Amino acid sequence: MVAFLGGNRMSGAAHDQLRHRRAAESRPFATRITAAVTHAALCLAALPAVSFTLSGNAAAQSDSAAKKTVPNDAVALDPSTLRVERHVLPNGLTVLLHEDRSIPAVTLWQWYKVGSRNEHPGITGVSHYFEHMMFNGSAKVPPKEYDRILESNGGYSNAFTDRDMTAYYEDISSDRLDVLLELDSDRMAALSLLPEQLKSEIGVVKEERRLSVDNSIPGLLDEQLYSVAFDASPYQWPVIGWMGDLERMQRQDLVDYFRTYYAPNNCILVLTGDFDSRQALEKIQAHFGPIPAQAPPAPPVNSEAEQRGERRAEVHYPAQNVSFVIGYKAPSASSPDAPVLDVLASILSDGESSRLHRSLVYEQQIALSVSASFSERIDPGLFEFYIELKPGQASQAGEKSLDDVLEKMRREGPSDRELQKAKNQLAAGFIRGLKTNNGVGQQLGYHEHVFGDYREIFHKLDKYRSVTSADCQRAAKQYFDNAKRTVVTLVPEETAR
Amino acid sequence: MSLGLLNRLSGRVCGAGVLLIVMGLVSVSPAAGPLRLPPVERVQLKNGLVVLIQASHRLPLVDFRLVVRAGSVDDPQGKEGLANLTADLLTQGAGTRDAQQFAEAVAFLGGELSASASREQVVVSCEVLRKDFVAGLELFRDCVVKPTFAPEEFRRKQGETLGAIESQKDDPSAVADLELPPLLMGSHPLAHPVIGLTKSVSGLTCDDVVSFYRAHVTPDQAILAVVGDVDRDAVIPALEAAFSDWKPAKQAAAATYAALEDSSRKVLVVNRPDLTQSQIRFAGPGVSRNHPDYYAITVANTILGAGFTSRLMNEIRVVRGLTYGISSRFSMYRNAGTFTVNTFTRNESLRECIDAVTAVIRQLVDEGPTDQELEKAKRYLTGQFPLRLQSPDDLAERIADIEFYGLDRDFLANYCDRIDAVTMADVRRVLRERCQVDKFRILVVSQSSQVMKSLEGLGPVESKELE
Repeated sequence: MVAFLGGNRMSGAAHDQLRHRRAAESRPFATRITAAVTHAALCLAALPAVSFTLSGNAAAQSDSAAKKTVPNDAVALDPSTLRVERHVLPNGLTVLLHEDRSIPAVTLWQWYKVGSRNEHPGITGVSHYFEHMMFNGSAKVPPKEYDRILESNGGYSNAFTDRDMTAYYEDISSDRLDVLLELDSDRMAALSLLPEQLKSEIGVVKEERRLSVDNSIPGLLDEQLYSVAFDASPYQWPVIGWMGDLERMQRQDLVDYFRTYYAPNNCILVLTGDFDSRQALEKIQAHFGPIPAQAPPAPPVNSEAEQRGERRAEVHYPAQNVSFVIGYKAPSASSPDAPVLDVLASILSDGESSRLHRSLVYEQQIALSVSASFSERIDPGLFEFYIELKPGQASQAGEKSLDDVLEKMRREGPSDRELQKAKNQLAAGFIRGLKTNNGVGQQLGYHEHVFGDYREIFHKLDKYRSVTSADCQRAAKQYFDNAKRTVVTLVPEETAR
Repeated sequence: MSLGLLNRLSGRVCGAGVLLIVMGLVSVSPAAGPLRLPPVERVQLKNGLVVLIQASHRLPLVDFRLVVRAGSVDDPQGKEGLANLTADLLTQGAGTRDAQQFAEAVAFLGGELSASASREQVVVSCEVLRKDFVAGLELFRDCVVKPTFAPEEFRRKQGETLGAIESQKDDPSAVADLELPPLLMGSHPLAHPVIGLTKSVSGLTCDDVVSFYRAHVTPDQAILAVVGDVDRDAVIPALEAAFSDWKPAKQAAAATYAALEDSSRKVLVVNRPDLTQSQIRFAGPGVSRNHPDYYAITVANTILGAGFTSRLMNEIRVVRGLTYGISSRFSMYRNAGTFTVNTFTRNESLRECIDAVTAVIRQLVDEGPTDQELEKAKRYLTGQFPLRLQSPDDLAERIADIEFYGLDRDFLANYCDRIDAVTMADVRRVLRERCQVDKFRILVVSQSSQVMKSLEGLGPVESKELE
């Protein structure tokens, strides 16, 4: 419910009514990668009591062997259990390889170091629009052929755009890896950006905006939050872009964008699954190696000054219930306080025994749902709260209850047991993020991009481990400062019928 | 098509022409290594509970999944939402723990434990780290066998449910999904929302919940899947001990219900005056899950409306830019099923979108797919199949559903061969039988005043306010 991730491709067909899914995953037409999924998956931690190995072949391994090799109480997320090869090609393309032979399939991720933070007013939304165009024709692959070739080979593809990144992935059986390399190197080398496809695709993007922002309460609140909270940060505008900018976008804007940002030296390629690393690297080199590097893009400008006082905005829209979103100014992902804020978010809203759920949903029974989240971002971002109240409840009551919970955290910090619980939850959540080839690739690519080194996964574990109650209390005092927050409230309106 | 020649060419892919030819490689048996799934062991506990165990050690996780043969189809008339509220309450206090203590215990393990109802199933699922097998099993067992059903928790969850029903009205897509089944099925047991109606949920009592639980949540009407990093020899004694107090029911098994009757065209507009984008649904009767045409229908639906190259996606999104997403699906239940098409477009293009969807379906039914489309769909389905067999929770769901619907025990192993065996004649036949677009009901959630006129000529049109 936090940051809007403009996903290119939706997954209506994947919504299976015979299946039971948790709420965050169950919305029809959610993009494959939703904000909620990403946040959960990217929260990393490990705990003394957790161990795992990503063993190569699940079926071949016997019970007793597994028990012997992995003692129950071992500490275990390190380079020996998550083996990764890292290479940088002469043209600057970073390549990460992780072999896992559990199923005969591979996942190929490509993380381009470009997102809406690289835009400027007038072309907001171009990163996301561009993501759509990456499926719409390149030198050797005419429009429509990308998906047709991929699906004809049993593959699936999707992508998402966020403020800091644009990421693409494909899942396919391992004997078809060449198909992916051919398709993706061609679009990196020479994207077509044909006028006819640009015209129909902007219609698709506008419908996506109508779906996820203009006719969506969470979307409306989120867009307002970022535009009010920031004055001069590139996080000020929405990932999907202002409708006016979408109307205005010219082909040349995209051509410039492609040359600048879709260069091999601005991309991280991650391959996970059933392959031989040496052979795979040769193939990657053969396909992507000839694409020339470009001059590195200029870093985005962030002139955001310190916030000096609470900001408030309202969104008037027909609705049954009041909801509101609050964003406190938060540090960037590289801050030493980032792991502390992850732990705080867990203590505040992870599960029904978390502080906010317990207070607002269970005891006072004024809210239907509560969430707290810290988004790791390259530039300083927000620590966000999203609260939907029950029918008949006023926003003042909800805000007061939230303030009380935060005040208690500032005053006392968490208990030892709460702290341990949060660490356990973050640790288990990390293991869950590695269930699939796709999940492993996502973790590796994300950390390589945001932290410049995938091994941050391992470092972060130590950081989580060392978070203390005093750290949490100090961070709560420092960051949950009402002079540095923005509150956006939904004011339900009756419409004339 | 000469596959042998194409095979040789594919070794060195180097240009557009060759790329297109790669498509010709579809359909022969996958050249990637075989899918090696751990075996599933099926045992029945002394109390009748069917247990399926699948050991897999890639990650140190264990998943428990209990599927009870009861759901909103078993809600008595006037008590719609009872299965859902019963499921919700299973985790709100059980054994010696009250609701908060229970949630605290699960969270401290870093575990996930949830209970929910759907139309035909009440599912309790629990995922913990391997080292927490014993603690996880105790919590899981307690909420299945020893739920407290405390009156104050009942009142709280009832209030939350009523709030959630209100909240759904703010999501246009959710409104469409709730309004569609009654439009298609009237008062059929599959029609009402699983969450219930404001009126029915308001009238439920804690005694209703206890009665529903006693009648339905019993070992002889349930399936338990245990998947992940477990020691098979230790699991069965642990389960026998954990569930020894859980007794079979004296009542008869879950009631059955009728298949759906043939539909005729009706159009319903649900008025939401604020919307600038219309939600659109088409619906008709489908088939039950164990229907012999399952594979042919799956292939046919893939060609029509699944994936990014389906007929509907191509025409409505790619060519016309009318929507961000469109899909079709067959929802299959024990004794009946539905077919639906989901999409949305700006209000101004509503009629264009409906007409275009209609034309796409009609053309596919009349002319059939191309050979290439048929092969693409098969390869897509068989290529994607292994991806959903990676996670222990996915596997638990798959093997429990095989038992639930009484499918071939080797469903997973045989799936790709069965898909590959589907013929063009099969696909054309099921399309003709199941996709009679002129009979489909159409639901629109939009500004009535803006769109009603554009719907003229589609059949009898009614409009209603959101209740």
